[in-house]
Amino acid sequence: MNERSAFLLSLTALAVSPACYAVQYLSVEQAQALMFPNAVLTPLPMTLTAEQKKTIEARTGTMVRQSELKLWRAATGGYFLVDQVLGKHEFITYAVALDDSGAVRQIEILDYRETHGDEVRRPGWRSQFAGKTSADTLRVNKDIQNISGATLSCVHITDGVRRLLATYDVAIRPR
Amino acid sequence: MKSGKKIRTRMRRAAGGMLNTVIVLAGYALPAGADENLFGYVTGVDTLPKGASEVYLWATDRRDKGQGHYAAQDYRIEFERGLTDRLTGSLYLNWRHHDIKGAADVDESGKPEYPDVDRFGFQGAQASIKYNLLDVYTNPVGVALYFEPGYSEIFKITGQEQQELSLETKLIVQKNFLEDQLVWATNLTPEFEVRKFDGEETWETELALELTSAVSYRIAANWFGGLETRYHSEYPDWPDSDLREHYAIFAGPTVHYGAQRWWWTLTYLPQLTGRPVDEARDEDLHLHEHEKREVRMKLGYNF
Repeated sequence: MNERSAFLLSLTALAVSPACYAVQYLSVEQAQALMFPNAVLTPLPMTLTAEQKKTIEARTGTMVRQSELKLWRAATGGYFLVDQVLGKHEFITYAVALDDSGAVRQIEILDYRETHGDEVRRPGWRSQFAGKTSADTLRVNKDIQNISGATLSCVHITDGVRRLLATYDVAIRPR
Repeated sequence: MKSGKKIRTRMRRAAGGMLNTVIVLAGYALPAGADENLFGYVTGVDTLPKGASEVYLWATDRRDKGQGHYAAQDYRIEFERGLTDRLTGSLYLNWRHHDIKGAADVDESGKPEYPDVDRFGFQGAQASIKYNLLDVYTNPVGVALYFEPGYSEIFKITGQEQQELSLETKLIVQKNFLEDQLVWATNLTPEFEVRKFDGEETWETELALELTSAVSYRIAANWFGGLETRYHSEYPDWPDSDLREHYAIFAGPTVHYGAQRWWWTLTYLPQLTGRPVDEARDEDLHLHEHEKREVRMKLGYNF
């Protein structure tokens, strides 16, 4: 076999090599059980109006990609939201637990499919969000510390939580 | 002289064996995944996180000089490593294939400027570092610097044996829009070269100056599509003279697909215009040192 044939054969071998994998760390049910132990959660179907979307986008500087919220109400008090933000190529799925005042109790990463940046799953980084409300700045390098080497994931998840807190203020908070 | 050729042959064989082994291992031993290399010709400001590694395969097809038959392929394997979160180092090994028949200019006696060839061989190696000065996600604009010294023993245009030393430098600027869904990147690339063809005594110097710019939009999950542009010029007597010998402008579409650890990018780059022209070949393209079209495919694995 000459050099060129071996090279082309290797490229063919590469083309049929194993496919990618995806990591699901928590299902929605597992996240609910973790964030609201022993509580019954009831789905609360809600669709944002065009005006609400506009208000949220103007207040947060983020894009509202989904009008339909994935929202549950906990019998013990509080709300459970599942949301997605862009990673480098795929969506990152995460869940946010809010208390009745609209403050963050906890965030959890459900699906993370990117090659780098999964340091956002570290409890220390996620715990920075506890107690944050829509009145907080919620910006990386301001009130949320960045993780070097995972900047894109840190920025997008922080932007996502800021958007959800504004969503609570605009659409979920009982009037 | 003979022993020098033997050493070169051994180097080429060893490099070829290494390349084929790494390609197969990259496919079977590593899990699949995604990365940031959205463009074929333009480089972005991102660096690998500390301790992360990546293997790339590049293949560039260049063809058609408007006369005879000209087809050339440049193959490259790159190993990249995050040295710190802001500094990435890379090593490159390159191969080149030329298939040329009657594409060269001929002088008055009918002798072609360079001979017909059909040859595949080890072309050379480079090493590079990229330093991210400003990351694009927390600053209005991302900026990075890139340095790449290299050695080449096959001339890109004619396939002739040579010795070439080069230093490619790059200023990389990147701006993202729409929550990083739209990416714009521009590179200013001065490359300094000294070259001596086999059998010649004198070294030639040359400055190649390139400006590339591209945009890419995330059109669906995992998929980016965009446009790349490239201006390339050369100053053969630099630094003694700043006379531009030629330039060529290319533009074309680029498509990028990224899975988890595995990605590919395909760019088609036809020449739009260039100077000077040889009207016997084409009225608006510079085909002496460039071709009518280039296609570049990159495959990457992260681990």
